[in-house]
Amino acid sequence: MEDKRDEVLLKVEHLCQYFKMGKSELKAVDDVSFDIKKGEVFGLVGESGCGKTTTGRSIIKLYNITSGDIYFKGIRIGAGIRSYQNAIAEKRAEYREKIKNASGDAATKLKRELDDFVAEQKAAIKAAKHDQKNCDKMYAEKRVKEVKAKYEPMIASASAAQKERLQREYQNELRKAKRTKLVTQIQMIFQDPIASLDPRLTVREIISEGLIIQGERDKEVIDKKVYEMLELVGLVREHASRYPHEFSGGQRQRIGVARSIIMNPEMIIADEPVSALDVSVQAQVINLLNELRDKFGLTILFVAHDLSVVKYFSDRIGVMYFGKLVELAPSDELFLNPLHPYTKSLLSAIPLPDPIYEKQRVRIVYNPLAEHDYSVDKPTLREIKPGHFIQCNEAEFKKYLKELK
Amino acid sequence: MEKKLEVKNLVISFRTSNGKVQAVRNISFDLAKGETLAIVGESGSGKSVTSKAILGILAGNSIIEGGEIIYDGKDLLKISEEDFHRIRGDKIAMIFQDPMSSLNPIVKIGRQLTEAMILKNKARRKECRKNFNSYLKLLEQNMIEASAKGDAAKIAALKQKCKDFDKFEYKHIELEAEYNKARESAVEAVSELENLVFELEKKFDKNLKDRISDVVKLAKNSCHTYLVKKDAPHLNRLASELPKLAASEKDTKNYQKTIAAMNEMLPILRAALALEQPNFFALGYYETFANAAVPEKPIGELNVFMHKYLDDNFMLAFIDDAKKALIYSAEKSYQAKERVVKFLEGKRAVFLREHLDKKECEEARKLCAKEVAETIDHMEIRKDNLAYTFGTGLRSEIDKYFNGIRKNEKEKKRYEKQKAKYDALVAKGKDPDWQVVPASYTDLELTKTNIVMQIDRLIAHYKEILAAKETRDFSAETVAVIDYLKENASGVVEKVTKRLAKERAIKLMEEVGIPEPRTRYNQYPFEFSGGMRQRIVIAIALAANPDILICDEPTTALDVTIQAQILELINRLKKQRNISVIFITHDLGVVANMADRVAVMYAGKIVEYGTAQDIFYEAAHPYTWALLSSMPDLDTSEKLDAIPGTPPNMIFPPKGDAFAARNKYALKIDFEKAPPMFKISDTHYAATWLLHPDAPKVEPPKIVTARIERMKNRREAEDGR
Repeated sequence: MEDKRDEVLLKVEHLCQYFKMGKSELKAVDDVSFDIKKGEVFGLVGESGCGKTTTGRSIIKLYNITSGDIYFKGIRIGAGIRSYQNAIAEKRAEYREKIKNASGDAATKLKRELDDFVAEQKAAIKAAKHDQKNCDKMYAEKRVKEVKAKYEPMIASASAAQKERLQREYQNELRKAKRTKLVTQIQMIFQDPIASLDPRLTVREIISEGLIIQGERDKEVIDKKVYEMLELVGLVREHASRYPHEFSGGQRQRIGVARSIIMNPEMIIADEPVSALDVSVQAQVINLLNELRDKFGLTILFVAHDLSVVKYFSDRIGVMYFGKLVELAPSDELFLNPLHPYTKSLLSAIPLPDPIYEKQRVRIVYNPLAEHDYSVDKPTLREIKPGHFIQCNEAEFKKYLKELK
Repeated sequence: MEKKLEVKNLVISFRTSNGKVQAVRNISFDLAKGETLAIVGESGSGKSVTSKAILGILAGNSIIEGGEIIYDGKDLLKISEEDFHRIRGDKIAMIFQDPMSSLNPIVKIGRQLTEAMILKNKARRKECRKNFNSYLKLLEQNMIEASAKGDAAKIAALKQKCKDFDKFEYKHIELEAEYNKARESAVEAVSELENLVFELEKKFDKNLKDRISDVVKLAKNSCHTYLVKKDAPHLNRLASELPKLAASEKDTKNYQKTIAAMNEMLPILRAALALEQPNFFALGYYETFANAAVPEKPIGELNVFMHKYLDDNFMLAFIDDAKKALIYSAEKSYQAKERVVKFLEGKRAVFLREHLDKKECEEARKLCAKEVAETIDHMEIRKDNLAYTFGTGLRSEIDKYFNGIRKNEKEKKRYEKQKAKYDALVAKGKDPDWQVVPASYTDLELTKTNIVMQIDRLIAHYKEILAAKETRDFSAETVAVIDYLKENASGVVEKVTKRLAKERAIKLMEEVGIPEPRTRYNQYPFEFSGGMRQRIVIAIALAANPDILICDEPTTALDVTIQAQILELINRLKKQRNISVIFITHDLGVVANMADRVAVMYAGKIVEYGTAQDIFYEAAHPYTWALLSSMPDLDTSEKLDAIPGTPPNMIFPPKGDAFAARNKYALKIDFEKAPPMFKISDTHYAATWLLHPDAPKVEPPKIVTARIERMKNRREAEDGR
């Protein structure tokens, strides 16, 4: 298991997601990088509007990302082009001055250099666009090849009686392989269990929808799988023919979980799965996710604002503030040694079931303008301790290092 | 401590197509002044229903089966909708869970904040006029009956007095209205000038011309005999110069002269606003009857002079007459009360019989209601609500009893029929997929005790009043009567205009911590973040200065940092205004911060009740343990103890303890008999059989004890440091 743990399943590099807002742009996610190892739970916390949900949605390709790369199992599934465009523009501006000052051979040399650079970047843009559009197609082609390689020799060597059955199986598999998408291996659980289930579909239809889209046509197989999933999440078979409104909040969230795990995903993005639930139901859903994780070795990106839940559930935690990742550390380390002032402020806001302590608790207020001076030295994400990253500039880095000791 | 609100034996159910859902089953609690009571429980435990019952906004299919909610001596379940208008929002306000859906998305924030202020003011002016007229008439009548004794000349004299009172009251209103208008202009002029100075210093001059002409008008309007008098010409001159100054400086955008002129105007207006208010009541008399010009004096001296003049010429004699009228009316009422106590004690037996007779009861009720109605002293300013609601209350209880008999029979028939059908199916070997809806009978015995309780309570109340008869201070009451009339007269002209309401709203917005309230005032709800929206909702709730604030999960939709801010805000406002708070939530972490006392609810019942310390450190009920252990904290690493299953279907409330089915500590008796409230300490009660002396000793779950231990250690470590 050890080596598996170190395998990086999802890698997010310099992810930017901007939204158009009239003339200006809203930087919902700005230059966020992290990676998630296989079998790990990665928590993402921050206040509402800080871009944690957008990050999750960008990964699953619900948005076309503006810039940066997303690798899933080593394959690039999402890529933005803004960074390349910016690089070209910058280089051009830089060289324009140089070319003006230079003369003769030097100028032509510079020009060639510039052209080379632009061509290189344009190729990168093309590749990014291609990957962004065709990653699923390529994956499907790969799958088709695999299926062909598996069945063709079998059919060739099979006897006449077996041949027909194999042929049918082969066709079925082939159809499914053609339709596979890489991204379906990442599934999402949504925040609001009421709004995320179609009220006009029965639970069976909701859970099996993904399977049908993937090309499964055998009713029996579908039913069997649906029942299996229902039982897995603690519901019973009879529930399959009911409608979502007949369930309580916790049960609805279970249906949402069942819908996502039926696709046999490697990774789940859980977008505030317990925020809308009662405390007791919250515990049920968290326990369920924990069980599933142990059973299937699921990797989970857990987005939430309730820090006690995140702390309980996650192996590593990333803290986001206004589109930036400000601190990233293993969960124990983060709570033991919070360094970034925003993390401190977040931690000081957690209410605890202890009246005497609560009466004394003082909330730390975070004011980015007062805390940081980024006018000269821009901050970057630096590793202050193995596994503990923090967004800071050089001066702050030294300060935090002192604090750490 | 002074009790603000008391809920006693409240029972509420809802009619649904599947049967009756018993949402609240016999709960009692009280709320002291300046205290926070937290009601904790899962969704569907009846906490929101309780709060809605307090506010009188239950859904249409609700049935209030019994109990009472006593606020300010009134039973909120029995008073009419009209009376409720005076309490809802004004005295008891509510903050709802979802700030987005409790604000109107297409109305600007400012309008939503001021809407209630303006409407309530309009209603109040109308009501004041009505109160004044009817009370004066009553006073006149009682005066005549008390002092004149049929003497025609004296009757005429008394009538003339009341007429005079009415006449100079009218003058009073006129004068005050004039003054109010000028004062209002002054207030607005100050705020507008402050704004302009602030903006012009930043070289922001949008709509400057219009705004300046507005200010000029306001400043000129604020010249009044009792406000800006000496400086009036100076102020007028400054104001007239403003538009020219502003126009001349418009090109350079350097508004120094304009600002200087404005700064000169401000102190004049501010000084005027700081002046004492003249006594318009006495002034009104002087101007109506003195036939002389008002002497030129500073306002303080003028007030003394006027007051003396009024007392000498009219008031002392009038008060004397009014006092006589009061005593006369009270005496009459006392006699009636003595009679009624005896009468009720006699009639009480009618309602104590084994089976009540309908005809006899109806007759007794009518007689009682009539007798009690006669005892009411209409001259009392503070209305005796018990007496006022006695008739209707008794009637509804009696109706409930006789309707209950009929309904019970019907219900029994239905139940037997359904049961027979079910049994027949089972006998045939079938497994029906439906359940027999259990019979829900009206508790006749309870209704009967309620009827007798109504009568007993009134008797006790009257006996108390009669005992305190000797100590009653009629002089003070007479003064209160005059004040009441004065107040109502002023109320008629106390007008809240849009501008005034805006100023108040902006102050409120500042109070709840909204930056730049002036720009925010003109925005729509969607332009606010979740936390800011919730602040607006709080500001709206506070606008009427309520006694009790009900917070129904105010932070559930918000994230941690915003939640902490909102909780801090509610705590701060509670301290500043000394209001009582009912805080409804399912998050125990929030409760620890807020609550003085906690009531844990499950399936419509309060299962544990105690101070915050009791609940968090010495929880006794398994449900409280379960709630505590199902929430992770920062040190939790073991598997969470989720409560298995879901709350019971309250159409079929389980026999015995409702929590038994989900309770791993359930005893055998839990499934058979509902546990009573056991007393643990003076403040701490819990309803679980585990507290019975014969029960086996059970330790709370490890996750809870470990946490308490941990918290204790941490506290000690911190204290040691």
